[in-house]
Amino acid sequence: MKPTLILVGADKGGVGKTTVSRSLLDFFARKNVLTRAFDTEIPRGSLHRFYPAITEIIDLNNVAHQMRVLDTMESANVPVTIVDLKAGNLSYSLDLFERIGVLEAARNGAFTLGLFHVVGSSIASLDEIGEISKYLQGIEYVLTRNTINETNFFEWDETTYRKYFSQLSSTQEISIPKLNEMAYEQVDLAGVTFKDFVDNRSADGTTAKFSFVLRGYVRKWMAEIDEQYAHVKILNSITSGNRY
Amino acid sequence: MAVTPTIYIVASDTHRNGKTTLARLLTDYLLLDARDPFLIDTDAPDGPLRNFFPGRTALADFSTTRGQMKLYDTILASPGRDYVVDLPERHTESFFAKEHVLHFFAEAHKAGFRVFVFYVVDNTYTSLNAAKKLREHHGIDLFVPVRNMLVGSTWDADEASLTLPAMSPQLAQATLSRRFSFRNFVQGDLQELPQDLAMELQNFLYEALNNLNNLEPVLTLGKLREF
Repeated sequence: MKPTLILVGADKGGVGKTTVSRSLLDFFARKNVLTRAFDTEIPRGSLHRFYPAITEIIDLNNVAHQMRVLDTMESANVPVTIVDLKAGNLSYSLDLFERIGVLEAARNGAFTLGLFHVVGSSIASLDEIGEISKYLQGIEYVLTRNTINETNFFEWDETTYRKYFSQLSSTQEISIPKLNEMAYEQVDLAGVTFKDFVDNRSADGTTAKFSFVLRGYVRKWMAEIDEQYAHVKILNSITSGNRY
Repeated sequence: MAVTPTIYIVASDTHRNGKTTLARLLTDYLLLDARDPFLIDTDAPDGPLRNFFPGRTALADFSTTRGQMKLYDTILASPGRDYVVDLPERHTESFFAKEHVLHFFAEAHKAGFRVFVFYVVDNTYTSLNAAKKLREHHGIDLFVPVRNMLVGSTWDADEASLTLPAMSPQLAQATLSRRFSFRNFVQGDLQELPQDLAMELQNFLYEALNNLNNLEPVLTLGKLREF
């Protein structure tokens, strides 16, 4: 079966990119799909904090690190690789991947490449769509509206939004629902995965004392995310084992 | 009533129909039965129930996440005792909606609790319909429609329910005093109540506490008859 590389990125910081990566890793864990992850937020690595066992912190500009991701896709024996791209680096990373032949390899069927483009509510987020559209041929592109931290509704003008959207040939669109703020904070403070939080398990595997209410909020949020992910073609083909 | 630790939820779709009086009565009944209930008053900031039982009541503003945690987490963190939850009308719908989302009753059952809901049905059909709808809510072990004769009720008198006899306005006013305790009255302390009101209260408590005492078999039998 072909391996899958999923990039999670945004050209704007603070849109909840790492949360989307975490939710994807949780989703695959719940579906018993093995994953590995690369966190390009060097040296901090916020994704690494939640998934230390399967996440490596890398510098995407470093050729040796690029090799760690791309040259091991087959040999790692892990069907899904997730790369959490550093904030503001989406266009740069896609350009880099185009130049070194990664996008071409995906177009030629060497592996499946997906991009979860996380966007916020501002028009700057819409501009990003125009900027990256030239790289998207042969990529499973998922426009991800993230409302997890939002207190306001998305204020995009529908006509403007459609205009940007028409630049893309095939786009899927999902919405990450809002999570109760206190629940979100507590998961973050606990430094555990969403799944472990719901299961009341600390990072070392022992029983934790997380709030029943906050666990309930996270469980509901995860169920809502599952509904969104159920419509995403690339995720469906991975969980059904049907990767062409 | 139940020996198994029980969560008693007192609720209604309308206000000023005797919910807090019922919660007080229920608490005193449990205390007289040598139980040790803990109370959660969700009517913040006033906390009318807490005024009567300041040492054993937590005040939780259910409209906030912290308040919801104070209610649900407090109960689940200390199982093995009874809890009385007083819900003002403005939180009733959201309490049951949140319960449904969080699976609180299922978790409470796992912790060994039973869940009893006392629902005051007033004299409107809206209240009657709300009660009948809530009766179907999943996870309630005993649903108790309450007919408070002071305000009247649309709940059919022939159907199993808890009936609170009507109190005269003077008695109702006297028992609202913060220091007044039904339990102390039962134990012989008249608390400066005039003779006529003391007699009236004695009759009221005799009937109300007897009704509470016979409640579980009556309602269970009523439920069985439906099948």
